[in-house]
Amino acid sequence: MAEVLVVVLMLVKMAVVVAVLLILPIPLTWIERKIAGHIQQRLGPMRVGWHGLLQPLADGLKLFTKEDHIPDEADRFLFTLAPVITLVATFAVFVALPIGEPVTIWGTEITLHLTDMNVALLYVLAIAGIDVFGVIVGGWASNSKYAVLGSLRTCAQLISYEIPMGFAVVGVVMLAQSMSLVTIVEAQADVWNVVYQPIGFLVFFIAGMAEAQRIPFDLPEAEGDLGAGYHTEYSGMRFSLFMISEYLIMVFLSALTVILFFGGWNPLFVPLPPMVWFLLKTSFFIWLFMWFRFTFPRYRYDQLMSIGWKVLLPLSLANILISGVFLSLP
Amino acid sequence: MAQTENQISQWIGLVFFRDLVNGLSLTLSYMFSKTITEQYPDKEKWVPFERYRGHHFLTTDENGDTNCVACELCAKICPCDCIEVVPYEDEKGNRRPLVFDIDMARCLFCGLCEDACPADAIKLGQHYEFSSESSEALIVGRDALMAAPQKASHGGKVFEARLTKTQGVQVQEIENGQTYDWWQRIRRR
Repeated sequence: MAEVLVVVLMLVKMAVVVAVLLILPIPLTWIERKIAGHIQQRLGPMRVGWHGLLQPLADGLKLFTKEDHIPDEADRFLFTLAPVITLVATFAVFVALPIGEPVTIWGTEITLHLTDMNVALLYVLAIAGIDVFGVIVGGWASNSKYAVLGSLRTCAQLISYEIPMGFAVVGVVMLAQSMSLVTIVEAQADVWNVVYQPIGFLVFFIAGMAEAQRIPFDLPEAEGDLGAGYHTEYSGMRFSLFMISEYLIMVFLSALTVILFFGGWNPLFVPLPPMVWFLLKTSFFIWLFMWFRFTFPRYRYDQLMSIGWKVLLPLSLANILISGVFLSLP
Repeated sequence: MAQTENQISQWIGLVFFRDLVNGLSLTLSYMFSKTITEQYPDKEKWVPFERYRGHHFLTTDENGDTNCVACELCAKICPCDCIEVVPYEDEKGNRRPLVFDIDMARCLFCGLCEDACPADAIKLGQHYEFSSESSEALIVGRDALMAAPQKASHGGKVFEARLTKTQGVQVQEIENGQTYDWWQRIRRR
């Protein structure tokens, strides 16, 4: 009986996670357009529903009814496969993310994560790297010059920023003595990691922005410069799958920043339920992503690569060195 | 000495992203300031200044009789030949226009007819929403011109308005609604 309960609980949690992740980009697009509008002193969507709240539904309807166009010379199987790879990798990442302390409902204790691996951090960073395959396959399968060039640039950008991102979290692992995300959060009960690892946080956040391909690092998908890069040839529902995965990666990176550097669900002065704190902090970082998007111009490709290799990588290595020195002192 | 101080200050700015923070603070202040969008046609409508050359109208005196004496000066000065005037003698023996047609599709709203009129009969007002679905409907006759909206008593401001679909589609101002000066709302640095 207990095993059945465990299995049922796991299935319910999986269903909830998948449902939430599928629905999440919808309000995120609305928030992004509203923030974009207000930063630019205008209102954003206002006519579709009250203050534009039904605008994402209108957009979704538009994408549904668009013609599903596969280029003539394209590789059909790979073309259809590419967004699926990206989306599967993005969903798989959320398996390991905890969002709060265990809650007790009707006597059973439910942990707010799908699994608590003891190498969760490594798993998360590794699975996030599988997104690159979706990019490569998408660009290659489109069989178009702009798509191939864009996918090559995107792929180079993504793999070169994975390295400083991985090194930046080594300091966090040293502090918490574990790679399990739940343990890392619990180790920040007194002081958040950002106090001990400011450089690590900066490197991680900047590398994360590049991984999420948000401005200022979104040259590969800049519509004006490269004809939208690897998703040039995608239209309708397939394009929206790429967009969903982009928003979900942004959510994932905000959540990971909060877990690793900002205390996860540990409260700050005001006692609220842990999950509420986690959601507040994550939405702060999502807002930060969007604020940065509409403030900064985008980096040129060579500037982008030089930042990744010549600035962030040495900084992250220096961070490891300094953290190691400080931690080895008695 | 001043040069090294300047250099040090530059390095500190580089390390702490001073230029980026400047940009971010600017956009933050924009995020929380009032927007300047004029929400036409759902909530607001712009009424132009008095000098605006919009839809024509024929002025009338106290008795409701038109001021126009059908001298055809407006038709002669019109650069587009869009005014057609046919004079006649009414019951009281005055010279009045029998036919006074203006083709709004041809008119370029230059206001020369208003300048040329010796009787201050034809004027251009602030009505600008008269798009129609046929060219024939755009030829406005004498009675329609006499009934057209006169010069607005207020002008140069944004008015509260609503989009109504009862008598065709129009944006109607709300009586005693709020009004504000749009130009004062623009944030200038």
